[in-house]
Amino acid sequence: MKKSFLLLAAIFFLVSCGVRMEPKIEMETSSKVLNVYIWTNYLPREVVDEFQRRTGIAVNVDTYDSNEAVLEKLQSGVADYDLVVPSDYMLKVLIPQGLVRPLDRARLPHFKNLDPRFLDQKFDPGNGHSIPYLWGTTGIGYNKKVGTVDSWRVLFDPKYSGRILMLDDPREAFGAALKLMGRSINERDPGVLRQAAEMLKRQKPLVRTYNSSDFANLLAAGDVDLAHGYNGELAEVVANAPDRLAYAVPKEGGTLWIDNLSIPKGARNLDSAYVFLDYLMEPEVAAKIVNGVHYAGANQAALPLIDAKIRQDPSIYPSKEVLDRCELIEDLGKTTQLIDELWTEVKAR
Amino acid sequence: MKGTRRLLAAHTALVYLFLYAPIAILVVFSFNASRQTAFWSGFTLDWYRQLFANPLLFRAVRNSLVVAGATTFIAVLLGTPAALALARHEFRGKRATQALLYLPVIIPEVVLGAALVTFFGAAGLRLSIATVVIAHVVFSVSYVAIVVRARLAGLDPALEEAARDLGAGPFETFRRVTLPLAAPGILASALLVFTLSIDDYVITSFVAGVGATTLPLHIYSMLKVGVTPEVNAVSTLLLAGTIVLIVIAHYLLGKDLLAKGPS
Repeated sequence: MKKSFLLLAAIFFLVSCGVRMEPKIEMETSSKVLNVYIWTNYLPREVVDEFQRRTGIAVNVDTYDSNEAVLEKLQSGVADYDLVVPSDYMLKVLIPQGLVRPLDRARLPHFKNLDPRFLDQKFDPGNGHSIPYLWGTTGIGYNKKVGTVDSWRVLFDPKYSGRILMLDDPREAFGAALKLMGRSINERDPGVLRQAAEMLKRQKPLVRTYNSSDFANLLAAGDVDLAHGYNGELAEVVANAPDRLAYAVPKEGGTLWIDNLSIPKGARNLDSAYVFLDYLMEPEVAAKIVNGVHYAGANQAALPLIDAKIRQDPSIYPSKEVLDRCELIEDLGKTTQLIDELWTEVKAR
Repeated sequence: MKGTRRLLAAHTALVYLFLYAPIAILVVFSFNASRQTAFWSGFTLDWYRQLFANPLLFRAVRNSLVVAGATTFIAVLLGTPAALALARHEFRGKRATQALLYLPVIIPEVVLGAALVTFFGAAGLRLSIATVVIAHVVFSVSYVAIVVRARLAGLDPALEEAARDLGAGPFETFRRVTLPLAAPGILASALLVFTLSIDDYVITSFVAGVGATTLPLHIYSMLKVGVTPEVNAVSTLLLAGTIVLIVIAHYLLGKDLLAKGPS
């Protein structure tokens, strides 16, 4: 009898813990707070501190490591985030599900500072639900002993047999082959895709490894001389060994990715979220962010204020001509299945 | 005979090398002067210095300690009576109770995490540090019950009977005989649960809410820009803390559990 009483008491204790948490959160809503859910190394400390000083709004920053984490939290319906930073393709999932709020442009006067190149993209036409924040590219990190790289061709060149790393990602690998063929990364023609698959099959004996997580370190360690990869990680290793390593977006163009600011449907601190969104688009603030995180920003007015070293680094800000040939990965609907099948064929051989 | 022994020793050494070499390398590279994790280029404590200057990381450590502390407290409070009931009493549905109690240990973490977040959503409980504690308690209670029960099973019931014969009431018997005898098991289970909670990534990643980023979540999100020596340094500290707790737990469990093998 006693023991069941103890158990019951413990359960009550547990339940009361949960209940006690509720009013605490209500209280925070009435005072000024903002809960931000963002990628690691995406928001310099000083930018947050200045915002808190200026507005008195306390900012809680939680970090995540994948777009899927954002999806999971927003779908739960009980996460208290007021601002999230999903990538382009994830917005294609979040917007139709109504998980992010339509934005009131009247409350975002600094929106005019953004570079039109990154606005009105297919994942969110008219930017009704999102604001471009930081962006980057997929290209080739390479050891300078192979010479200067400016084309996807090197990844298919038998001369570098056993020294090549490809991203273990069907869309990125097909993207490289398709770009070399002069086609779009978002090609849907099954015939063209089969040709691309043939190219990748012929390339396979040359490839040392398919790897999407450790490509930058393998390049730095000298295990490979040519690494297909994302610019953020590659820029990091290049910056540490600029005499030995380099990064290039091939002249045929590569993949472009854009991470965007959005307000979740369930945001409770809407006013704070708008104030913060607009603050992030101020030229001085946007420049501080780029200088701090070393990713390219989508703010045009901030460009003159960005450190010349970053602004003129083609691995962070590729030239206009190259950027014009870069494409966002789009959802290909039914074609996705064909690409997955072809990719399995490539990998299985 | 001698040859066999030497072969066995070599085999053992290789197994241990296989188990511990990656961890040793991680620890060594946390003192590496180069930012790259691939080359050794001199000794430094810079990464540890950087860690201690990072407020986000400190908050993560604090969160982890709060979660692990609260989880341990609640799990012991819930698990010990359960172990007592299972070890000392016969009641209807005992087998079912037992099976259900062990279930959270067997269920894949991903399933438990997804189930919990769905449950919190349905219950309208906002994700926070409290939901992390509740989630950790769910799997921790089972561990406490298993460990404490094993300890109780090894105790002579005659000791409790003797206490009653000498006039102690049920509560006094519990307080002065059963509890002190079970204490090493309770303490060991507490340490075990504490380490499990402080290491947990999968379940926590599902149920963490605002301001509830724990150390494993933080480390994982740091990996987005590759394995830096800073990650190695945090991992080394986490490892050191975990080892200390495990050594204490093993010491406390030593005579009882290990000698008899897993129960």
